[in-house]
Amino acid sequence: MELKNEKWSLDKFKEIREEVLQQWPTGKDVDFEEAIEYHNNLPEEQIMAEKLAEAKEEDVTLIQPRAGVALIDEHIELLKFLREEGQADLLPSTIDSYTRQNNYEEAEAGIEESREEGRSMLNGFPAVNHGVKACREVVEALDAPLQVRHGTPDARLLAEITLAGGFTDYEGGGLSYNIPYAKNVSIEQTLLDWQYVDRLIGYYEENGIKINREPFGPLTGTLVPPSVSHSVAIIEGLLAAEQGVKNITLGYGQCGNLVQDVAALQSLEELAEEYLADYEDVMLTTVFHQWMGGFPQDEAQAFGVISWGAATAALGKATKVITKTPHEAMGVPTKEANAEGLRSTKQVINMLRDQSLLSNDKLEEEKEMIKQETKQILDRVFELGNGDVAQGTVRAFEAGVLDVPFAPSKYNAGNLLPARDDDGAVRFLNHGNLPFSDEVVEFHQEKLEARGKSEGREPNFQMVIDDIYAIGKGRLVGRPRS
Amino acid sequence: MEDKTIVMGVIGSDVHAVGNRILQEAFEKAGFEVINIGVLAPQEDFINAAVETDADAILVSSLYGHGEMDCKGFKEKCVEAGLEDIVLYVGGNLVVGKQDWEPVKEKFLDMGFDRVYPPGTLPEEPIADLKEDLGIEE
Repeated sequence: MELKNEKWSLDKFKEIREEVLQQWPTGKDVDFEEAIEYHNNLPEEQIMAEKLAEAKEEDVTLIQPRAGVALIDEHIELLKFLREEGQADLLPSTIDSYTRQNNYEEAEAGIEESREEGRSMLNGFPAVNHGVKACREVVEALDAPLQVRHGTPDARLLAEITLAGGFTDYEGGGLSYNIPYAKNVSIEQTLLDWQYVDRLIGYYEENGIKINREPFGPLTGTLVPPSVSHSVAIIEGLLAAEQGVKNITLGYGQCGNLVQDVAALQSLEELAEEYLADYEDVMLTTVFHQWMGGFPQDEAQAFGVISWGAATAALGKATKVITKTPHEAMGVPTKEANAEGLRSTKQVINMLRDQSLLSNDKLEEEKEMIKQETKQILDRVFELGNGDVAQGTVRAFEAGVLDVPFAPSKYNAGNLLPARDDDGAVRFLNHGNLPFSDEVVEFHQEKLEARGKSEGREPNFQMVIDDIYAIGKGRLVGRPRS
Repeated sequence: MEDKTIVMGVIGSDVHAVGNRILQEAFEKAGFEVINIGVLAPQEDFINAAVETDADAILVSSLYGHGEMDCKGFKEKCVEAGLEDIVLYVGGNLVVGKQDWEPVKEKFLDMGFDRVYPPGTLPEEPIADLKEDLGIEE
């Protein structure tokens, strides 16, 4: 099948659909007409797009955790706890890592072992194995909208089952769930597989059902410069809109410098409005991810990182924020720790809800720079695709015009090296083949030279390593260890 | 120091790539010959790489919580492949949830790993241990 950014015909979609629903026995329980009926009867408070529209209108930042365990009852208990004790506005179901790789047999073994051991052996909720009915049990036990959060290159069956199961939001995309989450899957393949997911959601929309879509903003979660993640987010937004998706939340992961982060959130929304202008009835919202890199082991220090992310989300006016927990350095959190991350976030957000970061020269300069960089990347992507963004994206990754730092995929050039400047903003130490103007390249060079000077060393890979460890070790900028 | 070869990678369906790259850099800098099989690595890939390169040690990383299931039978498979003497390390967020470290460590020692490292370990520690375990004099 040839990849093009063009809405799939319903016939083509249905042809592939037959194969998708046969990938695992639970697929046969998906009945589209009946699922439309089910969604029509969902209370409005459980429809993600409605909640997000309201938050956008009222200028408030909603909070959402990550959470998922192997068994249904325990999963419901966990989400109820996060809603009640954590005051979560929006709920997730984080999918386990076996399901993400379509290893449903291993997921099944994980479910069995979890039953035997009396604790979750999986790091998430294996929705495909549990099937449509179980997803609905989860939805019906709660009073907030539910989103599927995962990291699945081929997420077609997962989408069919969870959406028929009453979930109203679906995270991911053909780049953001490939480059950071796979090693050997071609970009062409994931773009096609995600066109399927987007077309499915477009099909729901055609039938009057609102399903929100959220490209995964933070990518590898480690020192990703805003223009890199913005380029990916906008491409995935465009691809989704073409297939008929009407509600899109674009994401960005905290870098740590307040001015850069607020500039990133504002520029993301402004750029997306510009690029998606041809798709008239699309509702755009934003999500800010609290720091996605390494965390301090100490819980009190972790709360510091969490609160700083909460403050940035509020001042940047993100529509929602995805929270971290004081157990982050140790892996999957307990429900208590998860709720603590939520509550500390809510406290800060409520305190800041009537404040915003005043416009100033530095903020404007950062915004301008992020916009310039993103436009230079996207211009070249369109050029490489002769106007087709899907084809351009495949070629851009081949050419390193799109490139993500620290990604496992062999289809990613991996030439970028980011590092923090003296103020902790993330800059390009090596911009690889990103198609930047001299002005942009010099801007980054000067910023990093200034840091090198104040630390008495040349900017190099050691500086990058120091920056990766820095927050876990108690600071933002990885100063030389003395 | 004489050339010692290590095989390293991230086991199972785990895609955490950042630490993997840093560890490679650190072990190479410390003088080891590093065969990095990357993320999403099944047990067989570690073992095949070790057999092919006549490696001295295998270093397994797991960050996502499924380490307990992914590492099951690893030592036995090494023995079957003729690697009964190879040094085996494992480290990371090895189980789901925050659990007491000592029992987790015991569990993996029982599974046949020679050393087990908690989250947040800096590369210097396993490097020093490996030099000791392989009898490398500096």
